[in-house]
This record gives sequence, C-alpha cells and structure tokens, in this order.
Amino acid sequence: MTSIYQINSATRIRFARRFLISLSRMRRASTLGPPSDEEIRTRTRRIRIVSYSSMAFAVGSSRAWSRALVLKIRNRARFRGILRNKCLASKKKRVIKRHKVSREMSKTDMLRRLVPGGAGMGICGLLEETAHYMTCLATQVKVMQSIADHYSK
Amino acid sequence: MNRALLPEMLHCTDMTVPEKQRARFKWQPEQQQQQPQDSFFGDLSGVFHLQQHQLQGFQGDLGEVVTRSVKPDPALMDNGWPDLVGFGPCGYGNNNGSGFDINYAISRTSSCPPAVAEAAVDAAVLANGREPVVSEKLSSGVGRESLKKRKIDKVQNNTKVVAEDDSRDKRIKGCGEEGESKFIEKNNNKSSTTSKNSNKENSAETSKDNSKVTEVQKPEYIHVRVRRGQATDSHSLAERVRREKISERMKYLQDLVPGCNKITGKAGMLDEIINYVQSLQRQVEFLSMKLAAVNPRLDFNIDNLFSKEAFPGCTTNFPAIGMSSDMTNPAYLQFNPVQQQQRQQQQQPQQQLVTCCGLDMGINPPDMGLRRTISAPVSIPEMFIESSCFNQIQASSTWDADLQNLYNVAFDQGRSTSFPPQPFTGAIEATNLKMEM
Repeated sequence: MTSIYQINSATRIRFARRFLISLSRMRRASTLGPPSDEEIRTRTRRIRIVSYSSMAFAVGSSRAWSRALVLKIRNRARFRGILRNKCLASKKKRVIKRHKVSREMSKTDMLRRLVPGGAGMGICGLLEETAHYMTCLATQVKVMQSIADHYSK
Repeated sequence: MNRALLPEMLHCTDMTVPEKQRARFKWQPEQQQQQPQDSFFGDLSGVFHLQQHQLQGFQGDLGEVVTRSVKPDPALMDNGWPDLVGFGPCGYGNNNGSGFDINYAISRTSSCPPAVAEAAVDAAVLANGREPVVSEKLSSGVGRESLKKRKIDKVQNNTKVVAEDDSRDKRIKGCGEEGESKFIEKNNNKSSTTSKNSNKENSAETSKDNSKVTEVQKPEYIHVRVRRGQATDSHSLAERVRREKISERMKYLQDLVPGCNKITGKAGMLDEIINYVQSLQRQVEFLSMKLAAVNPRLDFNIDNLFSKEAFPGCTTNFPAIGMSSDMTNPAYLQFNPVQQQQRQQQQQPQQQLVTCCGLDMGINPPDMGLRRTISAPVSIPEMFIESSCFNQIQASSTWDADLQNLYNVAFDQGRSTSFPPQPFTGAIEATNLKMEM
C-alpha cells in the first residue's frame, strides 16, 4: 500500500522543473527600486498559485486532489474577475459565520477543507488523499526551500 | 485437559454459565482443527437446556417471547444434536441475531422470532457436516437471503441499541468486555475485529432486553455468538472492511506525520494531521513570500538549479518552531535562518523584507547601521526564543526585526490578505490559512 502514496523522484523533478520555469517567467512590473508591499503580496500569491499548480500538474491526474486542484486553477484563470467579486462579497459572510460554525465543524470537515477536492470523498478516500497530499506538500516545501536557499547565498 | 473437562462442565448445569462458556471458548479453537466431538453437542444441549430453564423464568413480554422462542426449541430438541450444534454457535456467531441464542431471540423477538426456527433449521442442515469448521458453515448458512433481510433491520437496531446502551449497566458491559478480551486472546482471526463490534452490539442488545436475565449469562452468549457468526451479514461485513481500511490508513498517516507515534485514537491523529497539513501550507506560503522577494533578481539559472534540485530537501534543515503548545515535534516547521545581512535596496527598513536574499548588493554600512539601531529596541518575540533554531540566528537580529515589522505591518493591514508571515502564527492567533486559490 505504501507504494501508492509514495512520490517518485520523477514527480519531484517534474515539479521542480515546472516551478522554476514559471518562476523565471514572472517578471517584475518595475525593476526599479525595491518591490513594494503590494507587489510582494501579489507576487507571493502568484508564486503560491504557481507552486500548487506545478505540483498538481506534476502529479497529474492520478490522484483526486491533483485533479481537483487543476480544475480549480483552470476555473480560476477563466473566471478571474467574477470569482474575485464573489470572493470579496462572500468573505464578509464567511467571517461572520466562522464564529458560529467553527465549533460545530468536525475534524473531518476541517480536513476536507484543507485537502483539495476533499468535499466529495468519504473518509476512507479522504485519508488516502491526505496521505498523498501531505507527501506532495512536503516535497513542495523542500524544493522551494532549496531554491530559496540557493538564492539566499 | 480442557476438552476432557468441558463435557463434564457443560453437562453440569450447576456450573455458572460463564465458566462453561469460557471453557467452551478455550476448547473451540482446538475444535476448529480437529473433528468435533460428540461431547461438543452434548455440551450444547446442556447449555440449551440451561437456557431454556432460564427462559421459563421470564415474565411479561418476555413470557411471550419465551413461548415464541421456545416453540422452535422442541422441534430442535427433536432433531437432536445437529440442531443444537447449529443453534448454539450460530446464534452467537451472528451478531445480527440469527436468533439461535435464546437470549438473543428474546432480545429480537419483535423483529424476528421465526428466525430462530429458520436458523435452527439451517444449523441442522449445516451441522451435518460436523466439522472443524462448524462456525464457518453455520455462518455461511446463516447468511441466507431470508435471514439477511431480517438482519438488515437488526443491524440498524444494533447500531441504535449500541448507542443507547452506552449508559447501560456497567457490569454487563464490563462482563462483555472482559469476555471480549478473552475472546480476542483466543481467536487470532480477523473475525476478532468484527466480533468485537458484534460483541458490543450483542451485549448492548441483550442488556437492553434481557434485564431479567442474569448478567452472567450475557457475556457468554456474546462470546459464542461473536465467535460463530462472524461475517454473516453483508452489512456487517462491509462495515468491518470499511473500519479496517480506515484504521489501516490512519496507521499509515501516523507514520507520515512526524511525532505521532504516541498518539492513539482517531481524534488525536486527525488533529495532528490537520495541524501538519496546515503547517505545511503555511510553509509554502512563507516560502512563496520569500521567493517573491527574491524574484526581482532574475538570474534564474535553471540548469544550475537543477543540478541541485535533483537532490532537494536533503540539505534543508527543519529547525523547530513551536507552532502550538501541542506540537512538540520540532520537525514540523522549517525555519530558514536567513543570515542575510545584505539589503536589496536602500530603503526604509520597516517596509522591507530583509530576506531579499541572493542579492549581490554590497553591504551598505550606513544602512546596516541604521537597521541595527532600529532593530535594537525590537525585542525578539518569545516564539523565537522558544524555538531551538534561533540558536542559529543570533546574528540575524535585523532579520528578526524585519520579520517582526513585517508581521506587524501585515497584521495592521488586515488578516484578510494572505500575507502575514504564517510560520510565526504560533504566537499569533492563527488565522486559519486555507488555500485561497
């Protein structure tokens, strides 16, 4: 069973490659001066999205969470403006709801939220996806860390 | 020894039933490997008699039940040993109440008294095999469709009763559990897991309905019942498989998540898993922030990086940051002690990330001086002190200050953004960072 959940080095290399390529594609709007806070923020978001998407693409369609993630990214890319408006509108409601809902939320619900695509799975599949997702996240972190280290020298 | 004693014991009605049950219990595993003895059936008849006698004592509703359940008994008795063989073990084995066990029949009177007769008949048919595999045959016979249909209701009843009986007589449960543990010792089969469940269910049911039956009786019946009718119902089978799957996956997750060796139980494990996934996501967030600051330096030499990326993570260290009081495992978070003293630009320190690493700007002495003066009054946050990794970072006080500033800035700007430095949420009221994608 463990073989199902283990990530190959090939996946890791694929992820690293995609990530680096997308990173190199990102250009700064203005190369002058230090990056402003706003810029850093937007860039952070973009890099985060890029990292998750490259991980999802590296994993491919073999796992449910990667499929869900890919779909999410594609939808997001298409309906960017619409989604943003919706998100902004619903965020207020979400903040208010959190106080009420947070206690009732069970642990499995929280896990479902964390793992992409977890909403539509039973506990059995959810645990499986969580295991694979965790290993992928760990490799993602390691790769990003090593990249950051490389540039911090 | 056991076998020799068993017939005597079982024939002797004076013996308390639990002792008989246990004796039989010890004996049964042997039986599975050998031909069953006639004494076995004799024992069962003895037990059967015992049950019957005790049945007579019931009153009220139970009286009706007794009559109902007793009716098939004479028929069984007439048939002789085989029926008894089927009757006794089958009832126990079938957690859904094939009704072999009289107690069980009583408990299930409303749902299916005829099941007793039918099960008995099945047992009779099966018992002709007389085997080491009595239990299995009985279980297979019991798993007939007609029985299954009735059992569906019983399963539901079981689950409900189990829930209700949590507040039941502790002694009964204690006996049941004690018997359970004994059963588990004896039986190494995978049936033990189901038998646990069925044991509980049976004990629940019997305790609920057979308040007048001596508690001594119930555990024994539970024992035998559980042992015999293991996977008779498709529902219980499926449940068992599902439970085993889940526990298997939880075990695997336990290996994955660092520092979960001592945690037993699903709830704790789920907590740890959630914390770990959240911490990993926060780390990704933090690293993306770091890379965002680095990125302006467009010197991405991909090939050069790849030679390193082929073995990523080997050299990274994961210093400890206590994310929460619960998390004692330092391997969770990685904290990159960026020793960067270099500044990308000569800007106001408050608004800048010191971690503009990898820049080849020379150190600007006035700037550094400025930063040092600014950072001096900034006290290192307690969370930093806690973490062991900060032993490595003592030189990077400026960076700490900047991160603190960054945190403050981000905090001021509202939590709705995903910007706050997540790795330090140990001291911060952690905003639940979900993947805001």
